[in-house]
Amino acid sequence: MSSLIDKVKEVAKTLIPVVVLVLIICFTIVDVGTDVLFRFLVGSVLLLIGLTIFLWGVDMAMNPIGEYMSKEVATSKSPVKIAVLGFLLGFLITVAEPDLLILGNQIEEASGGTLSSFLIVYMVSIGVGAMVTLGIFRLLRDRPLNRFMAVTYGIILILGLLVSQEFLAIAFDSSGATTGALTTPFVLALSLGLSNVKGGKYAEENSFGLVGIMSTGPILAVMLLSIISGQKNIHGDAGEYIFQKGVIGPILEAVPHIFIESLVALLPITILFFIYNITKFKIKKSEMVQIIKGLIFSLLGLVIFLTAVNCGFMDMGRIIGMELAQMSSSLLIGIGFVLGLIVVLVEPAVHVLGSQIEEVTGGYIPINLIRMTLSLGVGTAIALSMVRIVVPEVKLWYFILPGFALAVFLSFKSNPVFVGIAYDAGGVASGPMTATFVLALAQGAATVIDTANVLVDGFGVIAMVATAPVLSIMALGTIFERRKVVELKHSAEETGSVADMPIAVSDFNHDCLIAIVNRGYAGYVVDLAREAGATGATVFHGRGGTDHPTVILPIVNIELMPEKELICLITDIDKSENVADFILKDTELVEKGEVAVYISPTFALIKDFSSDETSTATV
Amino acid sequence: MVKIDTIFFTIVDRGKANAVLRKARECGATSGTILLGEGTVQSKLLDFLGLTETRKEILLIPASDELDTNLHDQISQSFNLSKKNKGIAFSIPFQRRTLNNSSQEHNISIDDERFNHCCIFTIVEKGRGMDCIKAARAAGARGGTLIHGHGAGVPVDSYFHLAIEPQKDTVLIVTRKEKAVPIKMRIYNDLELNKPGNGIIFTLPVSRTSGLFEDKAEDRKGGTS
Repeated sequence: MSSLIDKVKEVAKTLIPVVVLVLIICFTIVDVGTDVLFRFLVGSVLLLIGLTIFLWGVDMAMNPIGEYMSKEVATSKSPVKIAVLGFLLGFLITVAEPDLLILGNQIEEASGGTLSSFLIVYMVSIGVGAMVTLGIFRLLRDRPLNRFMAVTYGIILILGLLVSQEFLAIAFDSSGATTGALTTPFVLALSLGLSNVKGGKYAEENSFGLVGIMSTGPILAVMLLSIISGQKNIHGDAGEYIFQKGVIGPILEAVPHIFIESLVALLPITILFFIYNITKFKIKKSEMVQIIKGLIFSLLGLVIFLTAVNCGFMDMGRIIGMELAQMSSSLLIGIGFVLGLIVVLVEPAVHVLGSQIEEVTGGYIPINLIRMTLSLGVGTAIALSMVRIVVPEVKLWYFILPGFALAVFLSFKSNPVFVGIAYDAGGVASGPMTATFVLALAQGAATVIDTANVLVDGFGVIAMVATAPVLSIMALGTIFERRKVVELKHSAEETGSVADMPIAVSDFNHDCLIAIVNRGYAGYVVDLAREAGATGATVFHGRGGTDHPTVILPIVNIELMPEKELICLITDIDKSENVADFILKDTELVEKGEVAVYISPTFALIKDFSSDETSTATV
Repeated sequence: MVKIDTIFFTIVDRGKANAVLRKARECGATSGTILLGEGTVQSKLLDFLGLTETRKEILLIPASDELDTNLHDQISQSFNLSKKNKGIAFSIPFQRRTLNNSSQEHNISIDDERFNHCCIFTIVEKGRGMDCIKAARAAGARGGTLIHGHGAGVPVDSYFHLAIEPQKDTVLIVTRKEKAVPIKMRIYNDLELNKPGNGIIFTLPVSRTSGLFEDKAEDRKGGTS
């Protein structure tokens, strides 16, 4: 059972700080009433269960589906097919997103009916479809992400100067609404799958960034909509908010509605996948059973999670926001900051992104460091949002536009893997927790403060949460990159000399060769080995420390280990030494790749396939 | 410098490898490489729920014989490897190859009676690693560790002229020597490795183990030469 407990523990670790902090606030500063308090506690337990099941379902279903779909996309023979499939994927996951429909309705109301919610939902979905397609082309063509995003944000910046304040906020919020609990893990899996299929030197960098690209789609779509329709101002006020009564009642009441919403969100991808499975993939039955189980878990987990958040956390956030705003604005800003720090870690997509980063970089990027940076970014974002609510002179674009300009600038200085992670982080951080708990907090505060407008100020919060982590992770990437430069200078020449070994007769036909090199050189080693007579190899990603000074990040005291690649080759016994020498003779590989080669005799069951196309075989 | 003639493998829970490597450095190891892998659990309930993986880290440390002995003692003590589910460690004889060393023959042999265990490596297509572990279990193995990797590029005919890097699962199984042959044959037959492209299987000798629960009474007898 240990693995089940591990999963629960992982989620609990992120949830407990939130519960503790809220309870402290409840017992010291704010009196929230027993109903809300109990509902919050029940909600917390449900959240723990729901999120655990959901994450597990994502592992079992979303990842394989993303993998199969991406393989289908990447191996298409015509660009039209890639474009159509990419567009379809982007469009379908967005159009079914419940958050987007809610946002659409809000905008329809706020614009006095000039912009129908139907139009908004479809425009945004088209925007996402188009951006996903462009993102896929970028990935397959190996175009650098930082330049791609620089151009995209350049366009957004120009459009941003043309549209009104309110629409700027709505545009960024709609991007937060599209990166929901289901879409983000799916797009992350799609991106990972694509880069795995494609492989090559930039596989790692390419594994991230598609969520970031996708989330610019809605921004562009809404801005264009505003400019074309000439709609500039939004007005109106959010309706009177009614607090729910009772503990179990509201929770049970919410379930059917949330169930249908979640089902609708999950269906399009599932149907598309099943159609492709029947016509193309024809997956083995046992694997299919796993995927279906995973889909059921995803749905079940999502329903429990969303119910918990909507019923247990929303009212709590609102009451805390209202009470704090009445007391003192500095307290509001301070608590907003602390809540932001810890709430973001409960977001489902943050967990998914975390495990993906670990998998892709072979543990090179410490997840806790990413989490800390993300927290810091979101905490700051929420604190600044509170400042904006308290001080009406402070406008949203003061932060958003310069923030993205700075992010674009840093993306050229940052470690390339981080560029993708940073852009993804924006979409990842603005998930259901932000959209309910944090938003409720801000709206609660805005109802009490006279100068604030619930609608306008509320809209900007998600935009801020989506911007700040991009910036903070990009900054972290820049630090990593600078550290890396330092590390290379220090790296000592690795010279191992091996004493002569006693000679024994060997009775094996094959040798197992293991070569360890710095990341990026594996392809080169395989090429060399092939030239020297080996037929194939298997490559693993990992991290490793050698005896030269290790790099330790200041303050957080985390050791950075350089990324390594381990190449495993099975060769004929009389060829193995040739291959090894051939690799070691390459000076570039020895100097820059810090190659080390180990040999051991092995007893291998390998059939002779002279025309074997896969990675391993011998003659 | 240091004479390298074994690679010391440790398999521990995810997140612990850094601590093990730090300890190994204290013992005198100079370098280590960490890979991410997945272990297996045996539980009918979890199997039904589809939760059959525990996340592991595999740490490889090149070592001399002397250091290897030291590492086994120190690391199994510090990390409680003698207790169940705390991780395992084993050593595979390897020779560090450099240009100025050109000894033509090996001094290690899988049939060496000093070695009681061996390590079976199976490299198969992604997704079939679990099948491989199932086959091995049927033949008496206790479990295995799965590492994801990718093969060398194979060009395909598509719009973007990609060289697809086929995803591979590599399965490590450490077992007693007498069990190795049936396990190998079972995997070989069950996964149809005789067909092209299905995968390969090979065995490496293991000179020493710690924390292996296959046959506890005899476990510690693995010689160190």
